[in-house]
Amino acid sequence: MGVKLLLEKAHVEGIRSYEVYRREGGYRSVEKALKTMSTDAIVEEVKKSGLRGRGGAGFPAGMKWSFIAKPEGVPRHLVCNADESEPGTFKDRYLMEFIPHLLIEGLIVSSYALGSHDTYIYIRGEYAWIVDILENAINEAKANGWLGKNILGTGFDCEIHVQRGAGAYICGEETALIESLEGKRGNPRLKPPFPAVKGLWQRPTVVNNVETLASVVPIINLGGEEYAKIGVGKSTGTKLISACGNINKPGVYEIDMTISVEEFIYSDEYCGGIPNGKRLKACIPGGSSVPILPANLLLKTAKGETRYMNYESLSDGGFATGSMMGSGGFIVLDEDQCVVKNTYTLARFYRHESCGQCSPCREGTGWMEKLLLRLEKGQGKISDIDLLWDIQSKIEGNTICPLGDAAAWPVAAAIRHFRDEFEWHVTHAEEAQKRNYGLAHYADAIHVPVTA
Amino acid sequence: MKFNEEQLTEFKRLVARYPEGKQKSALLPVLHLAQESFGNWLSAETLDYVAELLQLQSIEVYEVATFYSMYNLKPVGKYTFEVCQTGPCMLRGSDDIIKYIGHTLGIKPGETSADGLFTLKTVECLGACGYAPMMQMGKHYREHLTKEKIDAIINECRKNATANN
Repeated sequence: MGVKLLLEKAHVEGIRSYEVYRREGGYRSVEKALKTMSTDAIVEEVKKSGLRGRGGAGFPAGMKWSFIAKPEGVPRHLVCNADESEPGTFKDRYLMEFIPHLLIEGLIVSSYALGSHDTYIYIRGEYAWIVDILENAINEAKANGWLGKNILGTGFDCEIHVQRGAGAYICGEETALIESLEGKRGNPRLKPPFPAVKGLWQRPTVVNNVETLASVVPIINLGGEEYAKIGVGKSTGTKLISACGNINKPGVYEIDMTISVEEFIYSDEYCGGIPNGKRLKACIPGGSSVPILPANLLLKTAKGETRYMNYESLSDGGFATGSMMGSGGFIVLDEDQCVVKNTYTLARFYRHESCGQCSPCREGTGWMEKLLLRLEKGQGKISDIDLLWDIQSKIEGNTICPLGDAAAWPVAAAIRHFRDEFEWHVTHAEEAQKRNYGLAHYADAIHVPVTA
Repeated sequence: MKFNEEQLTEFKRLVARYPEGKQKSALLPVLHLAQESFGNWLSAETLDYVAELLQLQSIEVYEVATFYSMYNLKPVGKYTFEVCQTGPCMLRGSDDIIKYIGHTLGIKPGETSADGLFTLKTVECLGACGYAPMMQMGKHYREHLTKEKIDAIINECRKNATANN
């Protein structure tokens, strides 16, 4: 059993209520931070902890905090990004649904550190019932003196508001989220200026993911240095992984980033292996935008070393032979799955979610979707595969926000590692409509040359 | 068409979350409120009313209402089945579920049944990948869907609709 910092108490009966949460030691970090620490000291602890943004980009959270501008007389805001929409990702939902006070606690400490008197949780519109859970938790916290005016007699005032989105993946991008919070379409802004200088209503703003802000609680309780001892290298602390696809035990797991990918998939403590005695074909380890890997490159790196569930190991080999930790959305494909079809559904997703602002993304995502559908239906040509490669390479890096990259990477990785499966859809078009390509050689051991 | 007193109180609560003069920020939540209040869709008349309440130009409301997928710009059935079809749900058989619902209700995705009870929609990832296949029905999710569960849900809806009539 690894260390649990976030979900340790998630299964305690009644933990959703303030009384039980408090009895189990909740809100200690608020007492410690507001009564005994300066705001700079809190930022320093978060820096020391090595906490990396849990939304997907993995940017050091303490560093992001330290960028916030503090012009005289201008209010600052903390915004919690709960617009969880990356296919394969449902960890923030779990945290908010089952242990909402942990997020509220993290928000109070973080708001204090950043000087935010009005903090907003922007939650995806579809999580409508979770809005009630969060507002209830906020009201309980307020009734018990953790929010409102002069919190714990320190003179610090803070309110937390919950804002519902209305169905748009793009609003998970922080500047699109800010636009949406201002009541506009979710079109990402050009950067600079960064939100830390000009964000919500042109005021200095920090946008952090739900899990990132919840992690501030154990960081304050343990101290940044102790927190950084958990995990390995630059992958400090614990990470929530939402596992789905063809596994026996889909769900949300908290890992301490020292376990291997193989253990995560096959151990009964986590995914519990693949159902019906099927074999592992491929996996998208960090949410749908990160590169898909065939079984052989997933469990071991190209150098033949064990691959682990952490930022560095999952990205070992770069995009040529590695992937990314991303948002922790772990999608498993068994031998009966078709990589072409899976890639098609993801391309359709990104076309649907493109805001339409940048032409490479607006036009490219639709074009990729059409080509993939044609290949999937056995009506494609070999040249379509090269065309797909060409399109994705021209979207990547050529858009205002990372949605373009997120749309390009899954297509690129699928062709990079599964090109023969794509070609088979052309050369064996009729057969491809009746059966799937299967496991093929994707789980075969990789030849690792011996170097002297 | 106007908000009743209770709805107006909620409207005021929503606007009060934002600083003076930033009432446009309340637009998304107010559109949700309007949709819930006026028959689960947003007519041009409703959009104009929201614009007036928030002191915005109508175009500012139209561009938002057309951008976000949760706002219905035409009438929908009493019950809307929004079935996720993205990768993780597809891996767990969402295609079959969509086909089955369509077949059972005699409608295609995007259509409403002749009796006005059901609308079938396909949607992209709703963040329930571990509990796939799934769909959204109103405020809540229905997860781990099977054909039997779909039958039970449809029966339940029909029963409720009859009871309310």
